Amino acid sequence: MSEERKRTQVADVDRSLYDFTKPEEGYERYDDGLTPEIVRAISEKKDEPEWMLEMRLAALETYHAREMAPNWGPSISGLDLDHISTYVSPKTKQAKSWDDVPEDIKDTFERLGIPEAERESLAGVGAQYDSEIVYHNMREDVAKQGVIYTTIEDALHDPQWEPVVHQYFGTLIPPTDHKFAALHYAVWSGGSFVYVPAGVTLPYPLQSYFRLNAAGAGQFEHTLIIVEPGADLHFIEGCSAPKYYEANLHAGAVELFVKDGARLRYSTIENWSKNMYNLNTKRATIGADAKMEWVSGSFGSHVSYLYPTTVMAGDRSSCEFTGITFAGATQDLDTGCKVIMNGADTTASVSTKSISKDGGVNTFRSSVVIGRRADRARCSVSCQSLMLDDISRSDTIPAMDVRNATAQVGHEATIGRISDDTVLYLMSRGCSEEEARTLVVNGFANPVSKELPMEYAVEMNNLIKLEMEGAIG
Amino acid sequence: MVEKNLAPAAADAAPEITLERVNVAPAQTWNRLRTNDITLTVPARGRAGDVYFSLPRLFEGVECGMGPAVTDWVESQAKDARYVEVPRGTRREEPIVVALGADEVAGTGVLVREGAEVTIVVAAGGEKDGEAGTSASLLRVIAEAGARVHLYEYVGADAGQQHLESVGITCGRDARVDVHQYLLGGGTVALGLACDLAGDRSRVDLGCRYHAGGTEVLDINEVVRQRGRSTRSELAYNGVLEDAAKKSLRTTIDLVHGAKGAQGNEAETVLVLGDDVVNKTLPTILCDEDDVAGNHGATIGSVSPEQLAFLASRGLSRADAEALFARAVYEDALMHAPCDEARATVQRGQALLHGASTLEDLAW
Repeated sequence: MSEERKRTQVADVDRSLYDFTKPEEGYERYDDGLTPEIVRAISEKKDEPEWMLEMRLAALETYHAREMAPNWGPSISGLDLDHISTYVSPKTKQAKSWDDVPEDIKDTFERLGIPEAERESLAGVGAQYDSEIVYHNMREDVAKQGVIYTTIEDALHDPQWEPVVHQYFGTLIPPTDHKFAALHYAVWSGGSFVYVPAGVTLPYPLQSYFRLNAAGAGQFEHTLIIVEPGADLHFIEGCSAPKYYEANLHAGAVELFVKDGARLRYSTIENWSKNMYNLNTKRATIGADAKMEWVSGSFGSHVSYLYPTTVMAGDRSSCEFTGITFAGATQDLDTGCKVIMNGADTTASVSTKSISKDGGVNTFRSSVVIGRRADRARCSVSCQSLMLDDISRSDTIPAMDVRNATAQVGHEATIGRISDDTVLYLMSRGCSEEEARTLVVNGFANPVSKELPMEYAVEMNNLIKLEMEGAIG
Repeated sequence: MVEKNLAPAAADAAPEITLERVNVAPAQTWNRLRTNDITLTVPARGRAGDVYFSLPRLFEGVECGMGPAVTDWVESQAKDARYVEVPRGTRREEPIVVALGADEVAGTGVLVREGAEVTIVVAAGGEKDGEAGTSASLLRVIAEAGARVHLYEYVGADAGQQHLESVGITCGRDARVDVHQYLLGGGTVALGLACDLAGDRSRVDLGCRYHAGGTEVLDINEVVRQRGRSTRSELAYNGVLEDAAKKSLRTTIDLVHGAKGAQGNEAETVLVLGDDVVNKTLPTILCDEDDVAGNHGATIGSVSPEQLAFLASRGLSRADAEALFARAVYEDALMHAPCDEARATVQRGQALLHGASTLEDLAW
C-alpha cells in the first residue's frame, strides 16, 4: 500500500487507525501486581545505578502507604493493580533505523504516520511500544548543535549525563506528590531525556509517540526535558492504544526545566482507548524571562486525571495553556491545569474548551496561585464548555488563590449547547444536521487546533469527526 | 462534629467542640489549596437532658449552606427555635427580624405560603469589648409557589467575635427570592447559603457586598441548585479586602438534570488593598443538562493606576481613594437597611473599623 493511500485513510477516519492490536508472542511480560521483586527486576533489567533502585523501592513504599483523597474526581475503583502488568517489553533492541524495527511494530507506527512525519517535519523521533523505546533517532544537524535526545535509560548509562539525570530526576514531581506519582517512580520505564544547550533553537520539533499495545498493562514512561538559558524547543507527545475490555493504566511523568530566557512549547494529543485510566502528571518550572506553552488535546481514556502544572519561578516569565477535552460515551475526563505564579511581572493565560456527548463527563479543574512575591502578576483564565446532549455532563471547578495586592486576575467560564438557530441556519445552507453540528464543534475547537502542528491538527479534527459520527438520531 | 473538650476548663468557661468540614462546596478541588471547607471551634453550651423547641419537620428537608454539622450544632444550642408562617396571598408589612448579640444563637424557620410576600432580616452585631464570643443564626425558608422573599443579612461584629450564619431556602413554582448580604466585619465570619430552585421558573437574585480588614477571616459558601425548568440565578459578589484579611468564597451553580431552560450567572469583583491579604475563590458550575446556560466571571485586583490618577487629579490621595471604595460598601449597606437593627449593625461595623467619628456621617 502506498504512503499516499495511508494518509488518505487518516483523512477519511478509519476506525482501525487506533483500534488494531498486535499479538504479544515472544514478549517479555512481568507478573500482574506490584511487589518489590517486580521493581527490582525492572531495575536489574535496565542495569541502573543504585540510587535509582533505592528511589524505586522508596516510591513503592510510598505508593502502598498513600491513600487516595476520598473527595477526588471520577472514580477509579475499576482499576486493580493486582491485574495490571507493570512491564511488558517486545523482544527487540532500540533501533536508529525503521528498517531495524520488527515488522509488526513498524507497521503499527507506519499506520500512525510516525515515520512519515519524521521525514517531513521533525528534528527527532522516539517511539515507545509498551514499556520500552523501540526507535529513537535525531537529525545529525540538530545533534551537532549539542542537543541530546535519548532515553532516560541511555542517559543513565552515559557518564556525562548520568549526573544530570540524577540532579533533576524526580525533583519537580517528587515521588511523594501523590499516590500515582509514587507508582510511577516505582515502575517507570521508557520515555525521553532531552537536553537543549544554551542559546540553541531547534528548527523543527522533537516528537515522542507512546503506544500501549498490551492488554491489562501499564505504561509508565518518564520524560525529562532541560532547556538551557536562551534555548528554544518544541516538543510533541502523542499517545494511543487499542481498545480492550480490561483496564489499562497510563501513569507517566513529565518534568520540564525551562531556564532563564528559554522557551518550550509542549504539544500533546492523548488519544488513549476507552479502557484506559490515564493518571498522568506533567509539571514545568520556568526561570526569569522564560516562556512555557502547553497545547493539550485529551480525547481518549476511560478516566483521566490530567493537570499540567507550571511553576513560574522567574520574574517576567510567561505561560500559556491551551487545551481541549472531548468526552464521549463511557468517558469521565477530569482535566485542566495549575499555574503557580511566584515571580514578579509574570503573565499567564489559560484557555480551555471541553465538549461532552453521549453521556460523557467533562470536569475542567484549575488552580491559579499568585504568591506574595509575584508583584504585578497578570493572569486570565477562560473556560468554555459545550454540551451536545442532555445525558452528558460538564463541570467547571476553577480555584484562585491570590496573595499579592498588585496582581490582577480575570476569570470567565461558560457552559451551554449549540443553539438551534445556528443549526437551522447551516441546514438552510445545505448541511445535514450532523454536518452542521460537526461544523460548529470544529469551529469551537479551532482556536486549539490552530496551535497544534499540522499533522496533529488534522488528527484532532479527524478525532472530532470520528466522535461526532452518529451524533444525531 | 468532633468533641474537643466536653468538660469545662474553668468554672465560667463553656466547653468547646470542633466543627469539621463546614461550608463544604458540592464539588471539591485540591485539598492542598485549603479552600474546600473551613474548620471552626465553637462553644457547646447545651447540657445533657435539655430540650429545645424545634421547627416543624418539613424544615428538616431544607439543605443549609454551612452543612449538617452547623445545623446540628445550632439546633443543640438555640433555646427554642422560632417558627413564622406567612399566610397564603398576604404581604407581611413588618419584617421578620433575627437580631443577634454576642454569644447569641438563633434558629428560625419561615414558611411563606403560596403567593405571600415577606422581608426577613438577620442582623448580627456582637460586641463584647474585644472578648471572644460566638454568635450564630440558622435560618430556613420555604417559599411556596409564587411567594416573594426579601432576605437581608447584616453582619458587623467586633474583632474578637466569631459569627456563623447558615441559610437554607427552597423555592416552589414561580417563587422569587432576593438576597442582600452585607458582611462588614468580625473576627471570623462564616456564612453559607443553599437555595434550592425546585419549582419551575423560580428565581434567586443574590448580591453580596463585604469589607474585611485586620486579621478577619471571612468564609462564604453559597450553593444554588436549579432543579426546576426555566429557573434563574443571578449571583453578584463585590468586596474589599484590607490589611491581613483572609477571604474564601465558594459559589456553586448546580444545573440539575431536567432543568431545561435554566440559566445561572455568577460574577465576582474583589478589590485587594492589603499586602497580606489572602483571597481565595472557587466559583463552580455543575451542569447535567444541555438546554441551559451557565456563566461565571471574576476580576481580582487592586485599584488601577488609571483610576488612581483620575482620583488624584480630583485631589484624592491613594489612601483617600482606597478608603472611598471601602466606605462605599457601608453606604450601600446603610442605604438598603430595611430596619433599625440592620442600620445599627452597619454603624457599629463602620465605627469599629474607622472610629466613632464616622457614625454621624453615616447616620441617615
